[in-house]
Formats: sequence, C-alpha cells, structure tokens
Amino acid sequence: MLNKVPFTRASAALVTAGLGLSLLSAPVHAEKRTLVLSAYPISQPLFNKLVYAPFKEKCGCEIVVETGNNADRIAKLDARRNNPVVDLVLLSDFGMLEAARKGLVQPLDYGQLKNYSQIYPFARNPIGGNYAVGYTIYSVGLVYRSDKTAAPKSWKDLWNPELKGRIALPDVSTTQGPLALQMADLAWGGKGGDYAAGMQKILSIKNNVVTFTKNSAQLSSLFAQDEIWVAPVARFTWSQLMKTGMPLKWAIPAEGQAAGMNVMGIVAKSRNADLAYQLMDFWLSKDVQTALAMELVDSPVNTQVVLPKDKAEFNTYGGEHIASLKFVKPEDLLRHRSGWLEQWNKGISK
Amino acid sequence: MLAQSKTRLGLMLVTPALIFTVVCFLLPVAALLLGAFRTGGPDSLDGGPLQWSLARFADFFAEPLHLQVLWRTLRIAALVTLSSALLCYPAAQAIVRVAPRWRGLVLGMMILPLMVSPIARTYAWIVLFGRNGAVNVVLLQLGLSDEPQRLLFTEMAVFVGLLQLLLPLMLMSLVSAMENISADLALAASTLGANAWQVFTRVTLPLTQEGLIVGGTLVFTGSVTAYVTPALLGGPKVLMLETLLYQKVSVESDFGTANVIAVILVAMTLAVNAGLKRIAAPRRTT
Repeated sequence: MLNKVPFTRASAALVTAGLGLSLLSAPVHAEKRTLVLSAYPISQPLFNKLVYAPFKEKCGCEIVVETGNNADRIAKLDARRNNPVVDLVLLSDFGMLEAARKGLVQPLDYGQLKNYSQIYPFARNPIGGNYAVGYTIYSVGLVYRSDKTAAPKSWKDLWNPELKGRIALPDVSTTQGPLALQMADLAWGGKGGDYAAGMQKILSIKNNVVTFTKNSAQLSSLFAQDEIWVAPVARFTWSQLMKTGMPLKWAIPAEGQAAGMNVMGIVAKSRNADLAYQLMDFWLSKDVQTALAMELVDSPVNTQVVLPKDKAEFNTYGGEHIASLKFVKPEDLLRHRSGWLEQWNKGISK
Repeated sequence: MLAQSKTRLGLMLVTPALIFTVVCFLLPVAALLLGAFRTGGPDSLDGGPLQWSLARFADFFAEPLHLQVLWRTLRIAALVTLSSALLCYPAAQAIVRVAPRWRGLVLGMMILPLMVSPIARTYAWIVLFGRNGAVNVVLLQLGLSDEPQRLLFTEMAVFVGLLQLLLPLMLMSLVSAMENISADLALAASTLGANAWQVFTRVTLPLTQEGLIVGGTLVFTGSVTAYVTPALLGGPKVLMLETLLYQKVSVESDFGTANVIAVILVAMTLAVNAGLKRIAAPRRTT
C-alpha cells in the first residue's frame, strides 16, 4: 500500500499461476465457481493461508488473485469495465472513491454482511454512496531514536532546528505522503482540505529533510544507517523497523496520528457478487481479523478482536491509539492530489 | 541464380526475427509514441473527439519544472557519457595490449559489476555514501571535511551510480573496436613523426569511432532511461525524466504526459546517436 509496487514479475507469476491453476482445475471440477480478487501484492502467502484457503473450503469455490498497486488495478478494471473479470477489489479508500466515480464498483447491500455491526463506525460506508467497507486501518505516528532525541510531543517538533538533517518525510506521491501532510497542516493551524499551510511549512524545511521516502524499506535503511532520528512511520512498518536494532520508540503527538484505511468493494456487473459478499463477510469476521492481526498482516477493524500486548504493539489497535486517528477525507485527496504533486515537485526538486 | 537463392535464404532466415520485432516491438512502440500526439477519441481518458496535435508537447514544455528536469537529465547523461569515454579509452588500450590469455580475465573483472543486480549495486552506494559510510570516513580522516557531508540524495550520487552502472558498456564497445586495429598502425604513425595525441586523434579515434558511437549511445540511453539509480540515490529532490515518467503513470494515471516523456527520451537517444556519428565522421582518414 505504501510501496508503489509496479506490476512485478512476482505478481505476474502469481496471477499466471492462479489462472493456470484455474484452467487446469476447470475440467476436473466443472461445477466449481471461481471468484476473482484484485488485491495488493504484499503478504499474499499469508492471505492465502489465513483467508483464501479457509474460505475456499467453506464456499467450495476457487479464488484467483490479481495483484498490483492502486493505479494499475483501477486502470485494469476500467479497461474491462463492460466485461469484468474481477469480482472483489481491495483498494485504499481514495482509490475506491476514484473507482466508484468511474462507475467501476457497485453500491453494497450492507444487510448481507453479518459482521458489519461489529466493525468500527468509521469503517462503515467510509467513502459514501454505500460503495465500500473498510477491512483494515493503519496509523502514521512519529518514530524517534530514544538515545538521540526526546519524544516528540507535537508534529511541530519535526521543525526543530536541532533535527536538521536528521528527519525523513514520506513523499507526497506515496499513500502516506498526504497523511503526513495532513498532520503538518493540522499542527500549523491549516484550514481547509487543500492543506496549504502544511505544504508551505514542509517546503520551508526541505533542506532539513534527508530525503522524501518512497517506501518502507528505504525508511528502515535510513534508520538502520543512523541517517535519521525522527520520521513519520506507518504502523505496519513498525515491526520491520524494530529489527534494525536501533533504540526506536513510537510517539503519538498531541495533534493525534494520521490514519489510512483500505477498503473492499464489489465490481460493477460482477457475475459472482454473492460469493464476493460471502468473502467480504468472512474477511470482516472476528476470527479472520484476529488471525491477520496476530500475523501482523493487517490491523483489525472488527471491535471484537482482542490482541495480546506483544501483538497490540505492532497493530493499529487499542483505545488510545484508535482515539488518536485522523483520517484524510478521500474526496479531499482526489481533489487536491495533482496540485500537491505539482507544488511538491516544484518546491522540492531543486 | 546463386545470388538469387542466397537472397531468398537470407530473407527466410531473417523473417521470424523481423516478424517478432515488428509485432512485439515496433507496433506497440509506435502506438505508444503516437499517443503523445493524440487527444480524445475512443479509449482515451480525456474524452472529446479524436485530434492530432502538438498540444501535449506545448503543455509539457510550458512548465518550467519540466524544462528543469529535462535539462538535469541531459546534463547528467552527457556527463556520464563523456566521463565513461575518457575513462575507458586508456583502459581499453591497456586491455588490448594484455596477452590474449589474460585479456579475458581482465575484461571479466571490469564487467563484473554488470553481473550484480542493479538494485544490490545501488544499495551498496547508499551504504558507501551514508553519513557513516566509507566515503565520509575517508573525507574526515584526511581532514578534507570537519563533519560528515551530505552525499546521498544529490546529483553527484546519481552521477557516480550511473557511471559505475554503465561504464562496462563503453569499455566493451571500445575494446572490441580496438581489437580490430593492428598495433602496427600506431607504430607507423609514430615513425612518421606523430606525437601521442596525434596518434590518438588521427589514428585510434577514427578507427574506433564505431565503438565510440555504439558505446556512447548505450551509455547515454542507459543514463536517461535508468530508473532505479536516480530513484534510490537521488530521490524526489533529484527528479529526472524517468522518475517523473513513473510518477505520471503510477500516481497520476496521466498517460498523455507520460507518452510525451517517452517520445522525448526516444528523440534524445536518436539525436545523440546522430550527433556522435557526426563528431566521429569528419576525422575519417580514408
């Protein structure tokens, strides 16, 4: 989700393997139906173990997975809009809004989801128009080197001159860029969804910023090599950062944490909408959400999930944590993203 | 009769490769490049009636940022091409003078970097150029600097990364060109009173121009089309055409501008190829 993963060889292989399997198995189980899922490439083996395999047993159907990032997969849905291949699609909230505006997904009947009442209110109908349901969330807080600097109390601490040359910020072209931009805007008293105050403030410290990161691997290596001491970090990267062996701590600033959500939707004209509803409901169930959280794949949206302390630490989970979340409105993001990219490119590329 | 059947055989042999190239390469590339001149029409994202124009190019060049990115890309690629030629001429001359049985080994060692994944190689530079990396340690030890320098995420880092990446291509082109020149030619020129510089400009350079053209085109094209190196060693602060292209496609879904960038990249490659040919041509001795 953070990584702008192109349609990689691995994901191509996955799709090919999936299609190959379905073709091979077609004559043998002619009665078996096949549900096609469009998802992010990350953690697919774990999703297979924790979600697809048990669901296949339950429904007696096959699942084929197509993977890619938001833009790739929306473009593919668009290309096949009249004769869709995909049934269930997983996207970021703003990606799903874009798909909904293009008429690529259908409004949902939430009555078909038994577990719908168990999920957080913000995960219900998150983009309006009944087009989606949230299946995972993540926070973006500040991670800092506890041996080098005090715990940041505010997002404004990133502007502290003592941290010059010791911070990294997510690039605005990534999913987390706008999230961090939102918090900068909030901290510096911005008004309105264009985050103009935050943008101006970030550009003013571009020389304090070591680099604007594009993915979590880059962030890990910057911490591991002692290049940076403080950075906004997405919760799903946290366990990976701990492996650097550096004395790192997670801080929740006074203004709260930025939050992102990934959502599920059913493709317009899908021939397997009934199966898609079943998989959605299964995905939102307490058991599946718990299993995914325990393996640190995705943080839960089901409020019934109870996690032990060592797993809670690496999930977006728990009363205080959830209360601090500030979501970027998907419509604001779609409206302003091109403008942000333009200002960012101009301001940052010297 | 014989000539005719030879021609026919030649045609038969070349046909499969030709079909493959046309169907799998030329047609898709032509479709891609044409997209830069097209607005509207069926299957287009911008809607409206089909029109052919230079509007997308006008829009692209009207943006100062794009000119800045284009200039940076050209400047770095030219510098990498020039530096690789300067470094590789002496190296290639040395290599062709090594006894043939050792030549393979020396050449193998020089092109070893080509066998390492570009990502791994680029990450090695991230470590070397880091605050606590080898380069900064040396600078501090030698007293050339009082504090660690910011080397990563600069144009210099991109330049070094690309030079290392592409140097072997220039080297191999020049070595294979020089292997075809008799060593007696340089000797003869010296005997006739040419100094080392004259031998190089009047004998070696004209006779190895094909190698220089091929190597120069490969290095220049490699520099302008590299994605991993500028993305990892430069980052968003050192935006180049290729990283801009990626952003247009993958973040903004702006295929129109991406097509324009693709056309510019192809045009630049062709121009450099033609330019190198022209530079080399007048010195032809025959």
